[in-house]
Amino acid sequence: MKSTIHTTSKRIATTLSIALFCLLETLQAQNVPNENDYYRITTIPTPEGILVEGGGLVSLPNGNIAICTRRGDVWIVENPTMANNTKSTFKKFATGLHEPLGLLYHDGALYTAQRGELTKLIDTDGDQIADEYQTIYSWPLSSHYHEYSYGPVLAPDNSFFITTNVAFGNEEWWRGESRVPWRGWTLKITEDGQMEPWATGMRSPAGYGLVDDELFYTDNQGDWIGTGALWHLPKGAFTGHPAGLKWTGHKDSPLKLTEKEFYSKIDIRREKKNGRILKPENIQNEENPDFFYKMKENFPQFQLPAVILPHGILGISNSEVKVDKTAGKFGPFSGQLLIGDMGQSKIVRVVLEKVKGQYQGVAFDFRSGFQSGVMRMDFDQNGNLFIGETNRGWGSAGVTHSGLQYLTWTGKTPFEMKTVKAMPDGFEIEFTMPVDKSTAENLDSYTGKSYIYKYHAAYGSPQTNIEEIKLKGVKVSDDGLKVRVVTNSLRQFYVHEITLQGVKAKETGNPILHPTLFYTLNNIPDGIKLKQSELSTKRTKVKKKIIKKRKAKKGAKKKITVLSDAQIQPLLLNNTCVACHSKDKRIVGPSFKEIAKRGYSNERMVELIYNPQPKNWPEYATPMAPMPQVPKNEALKIAAWINSLK
Amino acid sequence: MKNRLLLLFLFSGFCLSAQEQIKLDDLNDFKEQAGNWSIVGGVLIDRTIDVHDILEIKPEKKSKKRKRKKKNTIIIPKAIAPIPGTGVLLNINNSVKNDAIETVWEHGDIKLELEVILPKGSNSGIYLQGRYELQLKDSWGVENPKISDMGGIHNNWETTADKIFKGVSPSSNASKAPGLWQKIRIHFQAPKFNSAGEKITNAKFVSVFLNDVQIHSNVELPHYTGGPISKQEVAKGPLVIQGNHGPVAFKNISYQLLEDSKISISNLAYKTYKGQFKGLKDLNKQKIVSEGTSKQIDIHLTKEEDAYGIIFSGTLNIPKEDTYTFTVGYTGGVDLQIDGESLILYNSAEDERKRNQSIKLSSGSHLFTLKNIKTAPWRAPKLGLFIESNSTNSKKFHAYSSYPPSLGYVSPIFVTVGAKPNLLRGFVQFKGNKTKLSHTIGVGIPGGINFVYDLNSANIIGVWRGNFIDATPMWHNRGDGSFTPRGALQWTFLNQPTAELLTTNNAFPETGEKPEFISKGYSLGKNGLPTFKHIYKGVTIENTISPDKSNRFLGHEIRFSKTGLINWYHKLASGKIEKTSDGAYAINDRDYYIKVTSGQIPTIREINGTKELILAVDGSTITYEIIW
Repeated sequence: MKSTIHTTSKRIATTLSIALFCLLETLQAQNVPNENDYYRITTIPTPEGILVEGGGLVSLPNGNIAICTRRGDVWIVENPTMANNTKSTFKKFATGLHEPLGLLYHDGALYTAQRGELTKLIDTDGDQIADEYQTIYSWPLSSHYHEYSYGPVLAPDNSFFITTNVAFGNEEWWRGESRVPWRGWTLKITEDGQMEPWATGMRSPAGYGLVDDELFYTDNQGDWIGTGALWHLPKGAFTGHPAGLKWTGHKDSPLKLTEKEFYSKIDIRREKKNGRILKPENIQNEENPDFFYKMKENFPQFQLPAVILPHGILGISNSEVKVDKTAGKFGPFSGQLLIGDMGQSKIVRVVLEKVKGQYQGVAFDFRSGFQSGVMRMDFDQNGNLFIGETNRGWGSAGVTHSGLQYLTWTGKTPFEMKTVKAMPDGFEIEFTMPVDKSTAENLDSYTGKSYIYKYHAAYGSPQTNIEEIKLKGVKVSDDGLKVRVVTNSLRQFYVHEITLQGVKAKETGNPILHPTLFYTLNNIPDGIKLKQSELSTKRTKVKKKIIKKRKAKKGAKKKITVLSDAQIQPLLLNNTCVACHSKDKRIVGPSFKEIAKRGYSNERMVELIYNPQPKNWPEYATPMAPMPQVPKNEALKIAAWINSLK
Repeated sequence: MKNRLLLLFLFSGFCLSAQEQIKLDDLNDFKEQAGNWSIVGGVLIDRTIDVHDILEIKPEKKSKKRKRKKKNTIIIPKAIAPIPGTGVLLNINNSVKNDAIETVWEHGDIKLELEVILPKGSNSGIYLQGRYELQLKDSWGVENPKISDMGGIHNNWETTADKIFKGVSPSSNASKAPGLWQKIRIHFQAPKFNSAGEKITNAKFVSVFLNDVQIHSNVELPHYTGGPISKQEVAKGPLVIQGNHGPVAFKNISYQLLEDSKISISNLAYKTYKGQFKGLKDLNKQKIVSEGTSKQIDIHLTKEEDAYGIIFSGTLNIPKEDTYTFTVGYTGGVDLQIDGESLILYNSAEDERKRNQSIKLSSGSHLFTLKNIKTAPWRAPKLGLFIESNSTNSKKFHAYSSYPPSLGYVSPIFVTVGAKPNLLRGFVQFKGNKTKLSHTIGVGIPGGINFVYDLNSANIIGVWRGNFIDATPMWHNRGDGSFTPRGALQWTFLNQPTAELLTTNNAFPETGEKPEFISKGYSLGKNGLPTFKHIYKGVTIENTISPDKSNRFLGHEIRFSKTGLINWYHKLASGKIEKTSDGAYAINDRDYYIKVTSGQIPTIREINGTKELILAVDGSTITYEIIW
């Protein structure tokens, strides 16, 4: 009896403290809204000893989740949302698969792409354990470690799409190779085992999804792929990586472009020195670099990325593409695309539109803070987004190597840009709630730049041809839900990055949760431009003073003063350093403290920002991309701050 | 993304290079014995007959005394018979002749390799120095081997506490079926004594490999084992093989005697430098930061973590002319010179490696220089030097902290078998070949039998007993997609074994190719064992592979959806093929057996210089056993 009273009082105390904590949290949230206020992450506890390196995840019609892991198992998770205060249970449905990287529920069975085949897993006797491991179609492999295969995606005609990674060279360990047929390809396979090569140009096509019955996929930055992006993939397309061109002579190939034709126009960058082939590096201040869109003039088969996901900003290793078909259960972004990222352990949001018959669109940050790399996603019927996680030895912002989480809309609408449409003279931004007109009509609320990525054999590309976007003016709609930003700075094929740092919500005065838009302008729509008279060109009056201040500082400053942690944060954020580095913790790259230990001079460190030497960091799997876009004065400040951490 | 992480899985084996061979043309290496040991050309063994099943041949003259009668009876085990010739050392003991055999030479530290064959139920032992026994026994199918099983280190029979040795069982049963040749490799260190004759170091099995599986690692032997030739432990003693417990034969016996190295380095001096050196030549112009003498090589004399250079020089005292292997482990770049000539040179500032090179050196003094630079802040300072020869143990010439042992070892990820069979797909290196097979699956069965099946050719490519697989190469970090079987692998061959051949002079396809050959995967039976399915030329073929009831061998059943097939064949084995008296075929000089149990009669054909054991296929079911 005594113990009961004790327990009860303890419980009351706990309840009170939880309530207090929640209250505090709510109060805080009211001050500074953050992602957690709108989209809540829940971790599903996995039994000890089960490593859920989630390569594939699918929501089943009965509310269960099926997840396939790198360890070759398929787990069925019952009650995955832990409803009614009961635990989820894990049941092993299948085992022994070869690093499967995708899962599909179709025709009462689960389908998965193993490294070497598309497999149908069938439970014939109803014990919820697969007893048929049926090979639908198997493809050759050279048994290189990088030959991963992803899928399947169910095509509208009930066939399956599979995407395949390239291998790498022996001497040229940096160069993607298609050693055996159909590596670096997308394949379309029927239930009865007929295979149709669909498209090529893939390098590491980890993400895929069907949007309006059309196949889309994401690829990762690397050789020939300047940055991760989302591509629409019609039959016969070529998306960038030339390895797969090796097989275009095959009678079934929908693409006739040969390697020879390709390399007659584009430098293969295979130079020898002292008998060894040199690894191609980014050429700094290159005079006339190749761009993918320019090459498209030679090769119409070239498929431009629909939406570029700038490397280091909107991910470093993009994965699953998922359309929100929850009809509002997941919040205000119904019909839009969510794209995961492994390295940055986050999800970005994409809205597509078709301009002049081609897909293009906008991308925003959406939700970060997952415990490990976001690899696969699927919605359940209640609009929860389940996430299979892994970093597969590449490192990720989330510190665990694997896991299972789900994301739930809290019911509150964040102040966000809902969508952005290209206009003949700029963009039309639509918001989730009315904007505060005075901030939205102020041109100082906006900053922007546009840039493009190189198309070359080197690993990744810096942002190139960076130019400021100068606004001519803005026009806010009467209901405050839309803003037209008008500029003369539009550049076809470029990413237009605009940050609405000053725009506030009318009702709450809150800033935009994710204030930056990234629009890939493959085509500039025709139509009527706004007249200058319709535009607001208002600016903050104190502007000039600020400039004066800066100028004054510049003159006096010779020595670099070391900034505080708080002062350096905006620089680290703007220049995307924090995508891969943190002060104390190893993420994708080494911690700043670890870098400080190397004892580089500030100047040397700036050089290394512009032209990194990944071989100096053999313990880190993902090489750093050159960052020549970081302004030198900022790079110096960052270097000085890093060196102060010694 | 690039793959720059190389996993180092250290192979802790050893190789005999220059070595002594016991020729087995005669018994000159051995002392006289009763005659139960002889030189023969080979052995015929019926694997099914127990060694205790004997023929008694009574002597023609009847003895008067009954007691003696039995002694004089000549006993011949039915299981084993000699083939005339040379090259094989055979023991067939009886009640009269049952001596051990003892080498005329003695050994201390030794590396020993041999092959041994035992009939069913037989038993023998190899006594290092005549005092420390490694057990030889037919232990086929034993799941948990004991000290008295094949590869066990036997106990002794002492009863006083300070003399008792309980023996050490092998870490796994890597032994094969009776009548098959089994490989043994032993690295043994003799006990060491001080000048007063007191033992200061125990004898030790540094490593013992049975059929390429390590079964002992650094096992100390504080005492002799049971049945020594003497209870006095000594620095040197003969190699002895037991001869009174049953027939046994040996071939390919080779050994290398080892002693502690007497090489020394004197007048060791050092000079240190500081700077961002990019190549070894950069050291030439630099000014010396510190210099002095040292007892051993020590990189920490630079007092720097990085951007340093150091030059050691001294005199190398070589006790006798021989070929010496120098091993330098370092970070940065290195130049090891003997008498002014570079022996190991790697001109870098960023490398990390262990490099070795051999050189023939005359006895006496040699000049020695070791240069090392490093400008690679991500690598710790490391410099170590080892010297060995074929007849000496490796000797190190550096301070412990200058080159600490670093195995680069990761926690292994083993996949084990529980109550049900466990299956795992992964790339597999057939016979350790560089090229990995891509569509292979490992199957581990409760009871300890495992196999690898190649779905691309519908073939069993390897079988083994014991632990299932190590998936570390596949699942650690990025991985390389492959697993390695853990155990004594009996590899078979690479081919698509069921095929239509135009004529019997055509080879089997290397692997199955679309569209003739389509893999359809597998289904799991109630017992959890897979039945593999593929379609070849329109015929559905099912392969079921399962162990026998005693978990000693594998049965393979192949079923066809059509009969009346013409010009179809199934390949059972290739290599040297010998039909044995029980109807099984011994493959590759008694490496493993194949026995057809479905009634078809196999034939032997030669193709491209290799013998093949094949069956004509008409569509009726084939069953055969793989016994090893």
